[in-house]
Amino acid sequence: MDSAGIEEVGKNDSIRVSIDSDRTVIAEGDIDLAGGPLLDTAILRLESAEPLVIDLAAVEFIDSSGLRSLLAASRRADGRGTTVVLRKPSAGVLRLLSITGTTEQFQIEESAP
Amino acid sequence: MTAVDASPSSLSSGPVTLVVPPAASMVRVARLTASSIASIADMSIDDVDDIKIVVSEMITLLIQSGNRSAITMRFEVIENALTVEASTPASSLDLGRNDLALATAVIAAVSDSHEIAFVDDRILMRVVKSNALHPPAPTP
Repeated sequence: MDSAGIEEVGKNDSIRVSIDSDRTVIAEGDIDLAGGPLLDTAILRLESAEPLVIDLAAVEFIDSSGLRSLLAASRRADGRGTTVVLRKPSAGVLRLLSITGTTEQFQIEESAP
Repeated sequence: MTAVDASPSSLSSGPVTLVVPPAASMVRVARLTASSIASIADMSIDDVDDIKIVVSEMITLLIQSGNRSAITMRFEVIENALTVEASTPASSLDLGRNDLALATAVIAAVSDSHEIAFVDDRILMRVVKSNALHPPAPTP
C-alpha cells in the first residue's frame, strides 16, 4: 500500500488494478483477455462492499471478455441485493455497454462523489 | 537512401500477415497492429476504435476456441475497406456459447459484414470494415 492508501492488486501489459482507501477498485489500461482476470481478482477481494464501486476513468479499451468480468460482478452483487457502480466510465466503456444492451446492469456514476 | 512509403496507397500493394501464439498477451499485440494499419489506411478515429474492438474479439474467440495452435491474422485494404481474416486450428466451434455469442454480437455491431465458419478443422473468421472517410465507390 502506498502513502496515498492505494494498494496495487496486480498489473501486466494490459492493465493495472488497485484498491484505494475508500474500497474502490481502480482499473487503468485495457480490460481484455489479459486484463480481465486481474480485475476479477480485485473485485472478488471487495465482494462484500455495498455497493461495489469500480473506477474506470483510466480505462482506454474494453472488449466483451472484459465486459464479462463486470457482468459477472453485477450478477453476484444482484444476488446479494446490492449493485455495481461504474465510476467515470470512458467513452469506449459506455459504447460497449450500449452496443451490448447491458448499461442497465450497472449504476453509472459520471463523476466522483 | 530509400524513401519509406507510409501512405495509404502502400497498403494496396498487398496484405499484412500476423502470426501469434494463442496467448492472452497477444490480444493487445493484434489490437495495436490493427490500429496502426487502420491509421495508415486513413480511417477515422471512430473507425480505428471499431477495428480495435473487432480484432480484439476475433483473436479472443480464436484463443478460447482453438486447440492452442498459432493464430494467423491477415489485414488487407481493398476498395477503401479494411478486411481482417483470422484463423486457427480447432476441434469444434460452438457459437451458441454465451461468451462467443456476446463476442459475435459485438463484432456485428461495429463492422460492415462478418463471417465465422468451421471448415477442415479450422475456425475461419472474416470481417470487413469500410472507411467512413473514404467509403468504397458504389457498384454501378
